[in-house]
Amino acid sequence: MRIGVIGAGLGGLLSASLLSEMGYRVEVFEKLPFLGGRFTNFNYRGYEISTGALHMIPHGSRGPLARMLKKAGAKVEIVDSKPEGTALYNGEEVKISRKRIPLRSRIAFLAHCVKNWFKEVKLSELEKKLDDFSARYLRAFLGWSFSITPEQTTLSKIYPVYRSILELGGPGVPVGGCRSVIEALVEVIRSNDCEINRQKVSVIRKEGYGFSVHLENRTAKRFDVVISDIGHEETARLSGLKSYAKLEPSRGIKYSIAVKQSFIDHTGVLFTLNTRRISGMNQVTNADPNLGKQNFLMAHQPMLTTNVRFEISEGLKDLKELLKGYDYEILAVQSFSDGWPVNRALAGSDIGCKTPVNGLYVVGDGAKGHDIEVDGIALGVEEVVEEIRKTL
Amino acid sequence: MIVVTEKCVGCATCMLVCPKDAITVEGKAEINHELCENCRKCVNYCPVEAINFLKT
Repeated sequence: MRIGVIGAGLGGLLSASLLSEMGYRVEVFEKLPFLGGRFTNFNYRGYEISTGALHMIPHGSRGPLARMLKKAGAKVEIVDSKPEGTALYNGEEVKISRKRIPLRSRIAFLAHCVKNWFKEVKLSELEKKLDDFSARYLRAFLGWSFSITPEQTTLSKIYPVYRSILELGGPGVPVGGCRSVIEALVEVIRSNDCEINRQKVSVIRKEGYGFSVHLENRTAKRFDVVISDIGHEETARLSGLKSYAKLEPSRGIKYSIAVKQSFIDHTGVLFTLNTRRISGMNQVTNADPNLGKQNFLMAHQPMLTTNVRFEISEGLKDLKELLKGYDYEILAVQSFSDGWPVNRALAGSDIGCKTPVNGLYVVGDGAKGHDIEVDGIALGVEEVVEEIRKTL
Repeated sequence: MIVVTEKCVGCATCMLVCPKDAITVEGKAEINHELCENCRKCVNYCPVEAINFLKT
């Protein structure tokens, strides 16, 4: 049984490591000269700056990714955030707890759930009925976690995530950053004598019971099953399928900031409630001091317009106000959209791991299970691995 | 000469890997041609194939 994996992002490598542990012969193809896609980091001027994701795992050591890393035998240490988050509201840092949400807003939330469960009512309708703190917190939470605004989503789309946060708890930071997860997976794959090749795949062709995967160097390889970690649309293109999925990606901007004095005194998220754009920040060096030579802050904002430069200028104004009186330097401004987005599908609109072709699966962003970010990716991978185990 | 095309999304991967610190990014990558030595690392690392090398 031979399995080809196209794309060495988190989804591809997690699939490959689990399947190679189970004894399948797996070969991974990656077109870029680095592994991990949007979930790795490079050392830049003494700071571990990520290619995409924040150095965070949504449910820390208790979530699906942590569970599957363990299953694959990938050794990653995750520091769970404590507290999970605080909020900067009218110049003060406040705890986020049920008590902070006034009774009338809790009732408005319940009423919204009952009335609009089966309707596609935008969350901005709920926002209007909330008190100032709760409304701003909702907006910041959506911006930080999903890179979307209440206007862009409905309750039913984000409810599964809301539930899993209640159940599994908030985030954690992997020691060594995103790259440590990738390196641990690569070690598992290589220890099982499976190869990761730097090759660009140009065509995936169904042939009889299997597939031939054509590489850009004009060779082709045979596989019984193909797992694609390059998104549904690109997978459809390479396999000559009519586009069966139209996904709307989410866009956002991430700032990496070096600060001389500590700005956040915990390992969780600081949601920023009185800003133009910035939704939240975390000081990742609190969880792992080796991620930067000084205090290292990551801030994130969704994009409210399509004008990237304007969005960045708004974000920078926020940062100037937030960090007033601090000695800081902005190390990197990274914008994510189109072919390198925050998410290939807006929160809650991932379309699962199946394709119209038997034996061709999609994992990773755009094919997440019912959770967010890398924990959603882990659930998608789990489903694919289970499908393969059942059928072969 | 290294040229950044319209496909650039501004993810700054090129800036992170440039050995000469010749790239700045704010929405789009900009190459400082005085520092750039045409090593093409940015061309290879760009995830969206937005950077080209042109023989001049």
